[in-house]
Amino acid sequence: MAKELTPQEMLRIDLSPPTQDWMDIPVEIKPGIYCYPAKPEKLEIVGMPNAHEWNPLDEDWNLPEGWKETFLEGMRERLDKHRTFKIFMDICVRCGACADKCHFFLGSGDPKNMPVVRGELIRSIYRGEFTKAGKILGRLAGGRKLTEDVLKEIWSYMFQCTECRRCSLFCPYGIDTAEITIIGRELLNLLGLNINWIQEPVANCYETGNHLGLLPHTFVQNIEFLLMDIEEYVGIKIEPSFNRKGAEILFITPSGDVFAEPGIYTLMGYLMIFEHIGLDYTWSTYACEGGNFGFFTSLEMAQRLNAKMYHEAERLGVKWILGGECGHMWRVVHQYMNTFNKPVPTMEEPVSPITGTKFENAKSLKMVHMSEFTADLIKHGKLNLDPSRNDHYKVTFHDSCNPSRGMGMFEEPRYIIKNVCNHFYEMPENTIREQTFCCGSGSGLNAGENMELRLRGGLPRANAAKYVHEKYGVNMLANVCAIDRAVLPASMEYWCPDMQVAGVSELVANALIMEGEGPRTMNLRGEEIPGMAPAEEESEGTEDV
Amino acid sequence: MGSGDKKLTELLEQKKGKIVEEWIRRIHHTYPDETANFLKEEKNEFANPIGASIQQSVWPLYDEIISGHDSDNLYKCLDYLIRVRAVQDFTPTAAVAVVSFLKDIMREELLETIEEQGLYREYLALESRIDNAVMAAFDVFMRCRERVWEVRHNDITQRPFVLSGGMCASYMLRRGKKHLEKMKCGKNPSLN
Repeated sequence: MAKELTPQEMLRIDLSPPTQDWMDIPVEIKPGIYCYPAKPEKLEIVGMPNAHEWNPLDEDWNLPEGWKETFLEGMRERLDKHRTFKIFMDICVRCGACADKCHFFLGSGDPKNMPVVRGELIRSIYRGEFTKAGKILGRLAGGRKLTEDVLKEIWSYMFQCTECRRCSLFCPYGIDTAEITIIGRELLNLLGLNINWIQEPVANCYETGNHLGLLPHTFVQNIEFLLMDIEEYVGIKIEPSFNRKGAEILFITPSGDVFAEPGIYTLMGYLMIFEHIGLDYTWSTYACEGGNFGFFTSLEMAQRLNAKMYHEAERLGVKWILGGECGHMWRVVHQYMNTFNKPVPTMEEPVSPITGTKFENAKSLKMVHMSEFTADLIKHGKLNLDPSRNDHYKVTFHDSCNPSRGMGMFEEPRYIIKNVCNHFYEMPENTIREQTFCCGSGSGLNAGENMELRLRGGLPRANAAKYVHEKYGVNMLANVCAIDRAVLPASMEYWCPDMQVAGVSELVANALIMEGEGPRTMNLRGEEIPGMAPAEEESEGTEDV
Repeated sequence: MGSGDKKLTELLEQKKGKIVEEWIRRIHHTYPDETANFLKEEKNEFANPIGASIQQSVWPLYDEIISGHDSDNLYKCLDYLIRVRAVQDFTPTAAVAVVSFLKDIMREELLETIEEQGLYREYLALESRIDNAVMAAFDVFMRCRERVWEVRHNDITQRPFVLSGGMCASYMLRRGKKHLEKMKCGKNPSLN
């Protein structure tokens, strides 16, 4: 008689997770978790090496000949070039302080998403291939050799990190795992192993100036559409200039705001604020993207795509640059731009032409963040505001990783929101400011095919948002990042469906009382503002019977 | 409520702490050991959202299964627990099977007393309620999986952040249609 099966065996339910050492658990690349590989032609456009067709689900990735040497040579070069990388490889004592700080670990429960283990993926190669102890003792010294399986594991987990740097906040040695991911992705790029969601925007940005691949006339047309919406909902006709030489300020924002909802409402907000204060500024159809997916590819690519900002400032002869609400754009701008590409000598230290405020923090950079600019306008009473127009919103603020941890901007957006909304509630302390949780889809992981991964990564943020929604009735998640605006709606749809998402400038524009405006019964989304609808006309034709 | 039902309810109330804690422990151990330890140790609900989803679901779920009064509430209790597991690395059976753990634990904890006190009839009714909860968990799981697909669909159709291959014609047409008349008579800002 055959052996009797237990109920669990009968259903083949396997509820026992693997118990081996992490190095012995092979990576499993599954649909819903990985992003599609870069199209070879998109790599070729920017001259990236080893463009080839491959599929992450296949056994054979068609790796280029000599791939292992290329990878290790690339690693050697970067160990010599970046002292931080060398130190991060050497000094981690695996104390585990970072282990439970990553949103992907907290949402997936996968130990390889602990930042310490993600770092170990590369560190084990460093030990096994570059250190004497590792070469001799191998596993005993935490080292291993680079094999195809190891490469696949590195690929999978380098694209399960959003470079948000929350883990670095807790590391007693100051190890920044995001920088390990940055180098890890650079090494993968040497083998033509980028993902398309990063590579196509990079190619688009190189060819047209923006991620979307919008050509100049389309860029202008899209903004025209939004101007028509403003005319309809606000009753104001705005005619901004494009590529105007001699303007005082050049305005650059992420192209996500030009095209995608709800970012377009933020862009309508910018247009209205600038009109209200009579700012002498211009848009560029060349430097028409603040975001920089090059940063998720290699530092050289980030530098190359960033160059257009100062170039355009020089061509148009502007004094300084004002930047829209964006996340990683500000990491690149704030931490790299003026060493990547030198500001042109004709540019000046930014001074607000409306308030006279000198933005001394931007003295060298020559670029000011929209929230710094708006907070200054409010502080000087330059915006005429009616916050009650936002009374139907109970607002909380999500600190985007890069403006918060990357540039230390915490107060300005909160100051603005408190001046344009009457109902503001903070999320729990360990989920905001420096400790903010990532949206779960940054650093080029905001594709559609990896939605399960995004939802896992989005859980810690959504969990805090759900808490303020249930406790205070919060229904608006405000932020200053275009990727947040693009991805948080998806995360909220799944985890907290009654929560909407908006850029801070949209909320400002809702509250803005503009000269010559019509009756403000609609918000920028074309929705009726509760309590502001016109009185209904008396119905005709009703007769008493 | 018969006297047998009353006795069983009392027994379940009495053993609640032990049974639910064991239930939570077993759910934690559907994750690798390092994760299970973390889920157990970290008490802050915002630093440990998976652990919080388990804690917040399982205690009220136990009460709901015992009372068996409110099917809406049963679904509500199951929602956060299954919503999290529905996007993690579990097969559908492994995602919902955590509810059936309760049956094993109850047998281990209660069978002797059930036998002594002759409460089999009442106990069978309780097990049926656990079976129903497992089936309800599958409903919730499917609802969550369908939601994932809806979210993906909405992402493509409503929030085209990066466009593959250039412009999205249908999106432009939709917006263009709305403004067609205005475009005809409106003045366009010119490219200088």
